[in-house]
Amino acid sequence: MAKKDKGDDDFRPTGTLAILAIFIITLIAIWTTIYMILVGRGGTL
Amino acid sequence: MKQYQVSAVEKKFIGSHLLVAILALAVGSLFGPLQAFEHAGWDLYQYLKPLIKSYYQGLTVHGVLNALVWTTFFIMGFLTFNVIFGLKRPLKNLTLNKVGFWMMVVGVVAAAIPILANQATVLFTFYPPLKANWAFYVGLTLVVVGSWVEGWGFFLTYKDWRKDNPNERMPFIAFGSLVTTLLWQICTLGVAVEILTMLLPWSLGLIEHVDPQLARTYFWFTGHPLVYFWLLPAYISWYAMLPKQAGNGKMFSDSLARLSFWLFLVLSTPIGIHHQYVDPGVPPTWKFLHSMFTFGVFFPSLMTAFTVIASLEHAGRKQGGSGVFAWIGKLKWNDPAVASQLLAGLLFFFGGIGGLANASYNVNLVLHNTAFIPGHFHLTVATAVTLSFIGISYWLVPYLTGRKLWQPKWAVIQAWIWFVGMIIFSNSMHVLGLLGAPRRVPLGLAPYVPAEWNSRLFQVGLGGAILFVSGAIYLIVMYKTATNKERVEEEVEVPIAEPMQDPANGPIWLDRWAPWIYGALALIVIMYGPILFDMIKNIALTSPGFRVW
Repeated sequence: MAKKDKGDDDFRPTGTLAILAIFIITLIAIWTTIYMILVGRGGTL
Repeated sequence: MKQYQVSAVEKKFIGSHLLVAILALAVGSLFGPLQAFEHAGWDLYQYLKPLIKSYYQGLTVHGVLNALVWTTFFIMGFLTFNVIFGLKRPLKNLTLNKVGFWMMVVGVVAAAIPILANQATVLFTFYPPLKANWAFYVGLTLVVVGSWVEGWGFFLTYKDWRKDNPNERMPFIAFGSLVTTLLWQICTLGVAVEILTMLLPWSLGLIEHVDPQLARTYFWFTGHPLVYFWLLPAYISWYAMLPKQAGNGKMFSDSLARLSFWLFLVLSTPIGIHHQYVDPGVPPTWKFLHSMFTFGVFFPSLMTAFTVIASLEHAGRKQGGSGVFAWIGKLKWNDPAVASQLLAGLLFFFGGIGGLANASYNVNLVLHNTAFIPGHFHLTVATAVTLSFIGISYWLVPYLTGRKLWQPKWAVIQAWIWFVGMIIFSNSMHVLGLLGAPRRVPLGLAPYVPAEWNSRLFQVGLGGAILFVSGAIYLIVMYKTATNKERVEEEVEVPIAEPMQDPANGPIWLDRWAPWIYGALALIVIMYGPILFDMIKNIALTSPGFRVW
């Protein structure tokens, strides 16, 4: 059985949430860039 | 507490898998830089004649050995270890697993002979109407069937464990390994049907023509979940081993980890048609449906990212790290097993983003047949997977052999060199793709290369050269470790990150197989049934074989 350490209950992954927020922002930026290339090449590509 | 003792025979058996894997990586990696150099205008293939006759023959060797052989052997060895160590019992029938292993070895030899003889220059996707020698298809079949046999050995071992432990939660490393095995057994039915009903009879002259569209659909039935067969073993390590190694951290959520593995099992197969967006013979409805489910896989991927990073953050804070990001510096970057896997994960950040762009039905049109795609899968299989496996081998090989890792500092340097080389290589391939450079093309010979590609093509060559150096250092470290006279004082501790909450308190449905298996099969029938039924009913065996090399 897993042994609980002092502080495990108080652990809040704030850094993790910040990293994932950066991931989502980067994802949107890159996806949009590629989408704009698609649009720039014309609607019938 | 003393850890479970894996027997010497079993250690040797696991080590045999790693030996074949690393040999395949060694040979296959010789050809990777040759592709990159060719793009940069340094064609070394001309000096390899008559041994290697063309760019495409080299590309086939590189793809088959690195993407198929290195991964499959390493994975089967690692999963064997996880099942034994996780369930704390020997394999139920070691002979059965040995039969599977030797079938795989014979398969590799059977496939390698025609490849080296330039009789199977069909790349690792072996799309018809490119036609290889029959021995190539027999060899691939043996590799797949051999891995099935080894998987059956895992399931028999699990069955006995479950009989003895009816109410216990399966330890995570064994759980993840069995889900990965099941995923592999289901998804490889696609290539099994492709080879046995079409390609093998065709190569033997029993039928004259094939249906390339149907063959491609069978291939991608296997081809996309193949990516998860590569990734899930790395995830097992990231979830349940790396946090412990990185700073005595714990797994943030055992339940989230298990749920993500089940979702990968259910969702990763019925989405293969997103690799066929530009195939004219696949109706748009099916392309759209598969694209929607492809985004479904984003959720277990995001759950994995969250849980793994949170577990690492727990490790970093335990080491005294603070702030939003400063804990990252407190992780044990001087441990090569840790550095390799952290760097692998860091580049996978971008691999995941590229994957979502590829999966988008409209955006894919910009990228599909371009250098963006090999740029993407060098971030996934050649970094997230390969660099993680390299990191695992830095503790697993000393554990199996009882010999100390040779020059850990060099192992850390190797990981960083790979990281730098891959950033240069992969970034330039992505940009080239966006500029319109095609994939699967010896660009060094192409007369249409515009000036704006030149600096990027040079960077492809430079990145390939750096990766070659990193690969060479890895092989030296492995060889020197395997022959190291200095032995470890005591058995290497297997890194297991305990979950923060007792898994026994997690939902019981996360430990039930039936709903997930039925769910996976039902989705496959819904997503592939009608399209395959239609393609088989209207099968167009019209294409003769081509040998264009």
